[in-house]
Amino acid sequence: MRHNNVVVFTCNWDGLSCIEAAAQNRLGYSASVKLVKVSCLSRVHSGLILKAFELGADGVMLLGCRPESCLYEKDENLSSKEYEKALSLMELLGLGTSRLRLSRLPRGDGDAFIKEVEDFIGAVSRASYCNIKS
Amino acid sequence: MSRHKQEIKDTRIHLCLDCGKCTVVCPVARYNPDFNPRLIVQRNMEHNSRNYHDEAIWSCLNCYMCLERCNYRVQFPEFIRILRTEGMAGGSRARCSHGGALQSTMHLMTSEKVKQQRLNWLPPDVKLSEKQDTLFFVGCAPYFDIMFKDLGVNTLEGVISALRLLNRAQMPFSLLDDELCCGRDLLLQGDREGFMSLARANAHKFHQLGVKKIITSCPECFYALKVDYPKMLGKTVAEVVYWTEAVAPLIESGDLRLGALAKKVTYQDPCTLGRGLRIFESPRRILKAISGMELEEMQPNRETALCCGASSWVHCGAANRQIQDERLTQAEATGAEILVTSCLKCRIHLKCTQQSRNGKKPKIDIQDLATLAAGSLDQEAD
Repeated sequence: MRHNNVVVFTCNWDGLSCIEAAAQNRLGYSASVKLVKVSCLSRVHSGLILKAFELGADGVMLLGCRPESCLYEKDENLSSKEYEKALSLMELLGLGTSRLRLSRLPRGDGDAFIKEVEDFIGAVSRASYCNIKS
Repeated sequence: MSRHKQEIKDTRIHLCLDCGKCTVVCPVARYNPDFNPRLIVQRNMEHNSRNYHDEAIWSCLNCYMCLERCNYRVQFPEFIRILRTEGMAGGSRARCSHGGALQSTMHLMTSEKVKQQRLNWLPPDVKLSEKQDTLFFVGCAPYFDIMFKDLGVNTLEGVISALRLLNRAQMPFSLLDDELCCGRDLLLQGDREGFMSLARANAHKFHQLGVKKIITSCPECFYALKVDYPKMLGKTVAEVVYWTEAVAPLIESGDLRLGALAKKVTYQDPCTLGRGLRIFESPRRILKAISGMELEEMQPNRETALCCGASSWVHCGAANRQIQDERLTQAEATGAEILVTSCLKCRIHLKCTQQSRNGKKPKIDIQDLATLAAGSLDQEAD
């Protein structure tokens, strides 16, 4: 069975702390998940999200801090705007909206990350076709 | 002879006299001293070898100003396109504006497993013909509509208005639910492969449906289908008509009657439509047919009109902003209330600059030609 390629863009703060906590607690998750660390989720604009799909990703997850915990001021505004834009473009393109997810988790919650990422992989595999890149 | 050698020969670049007239009229050269068409030709034709890391080639706007002025009609924009294609093959990359989102959408469209949801925006009052022989090519307006909503540019509105005008003029047309981007932006930025896969897929669809005539409202799609497709694919896809060319004669013959809209407007000639395909008058004829509308020309206009300052979603920088600022100043100098254009990209670029002109408040509204014309329908003069 073919694995679904999932790219997780994670912010350097609460997002990454969840992934590190999962690693420290030896919680496993699918090897098809590729992590890309950015300083803040507001760095991830619609261009980067679509580029991931263009390069063969089947799903993209944005992992960041909760709005009140963001270390920078603009995260929530910018990243939500770009997330909405990417979702609309994906719907129009026919990629569907279940291949992109924005998750904001509490600091250091490894279990929550595992639950979220596995749930997302499930949602991606249920999307109508598997491999976007023919 | 290799493909590029022949293409370079076709640009007539060997006739370049080094006279520098292109550089004098080039809007980019005015603001960016590193961009000099004459020297670019010199640098890249010397010893017949190319410099793949020549950054300057990415700044060309493809506005055809140099071509307009050149005594030998040297196809400089085409030469730039070949340099970009060669540059890309040599590892050089364009700096894409908007994070490359538009380039990625164009590439993703070519995937066979993706089925676009293209026509969700179509209002119920627009009537489509059941026959497929005349097609209205929508282009990327639905994508731009999402990308540039925050600028207040509603690009689909222009398309819907053009469709309403065609409906009113009793011109039958159908729409494709799986139409792809025309690919011109990719071609201009040197991605020949990307263009070819889009063009082949589109041409195949036209052929399958037996399309005889294509109407477009985007000047770039018009140029691509009319000029680039036959040139690159080696065959004409169909008769390609720009919507103003189809509608203006119907207004004059009395088959279509526009209403009233008492506004003072000025018209921006899109480079591709004007200098590129010599359509200067039909958009103006439509504006003049709206009763109460006063058209005041910008200086310069028609063949010497200034570009909207950006092209093919690459390299938007300070020089581009200055060109756009200059054009907006020229538009404001006419005293017009509305700057009308029939190109959605001109609208996007000028509107973008208008929002970041050092706090200057926008003095002029920027609108689409079809939106104005369709808005005037059934409006009586006071």
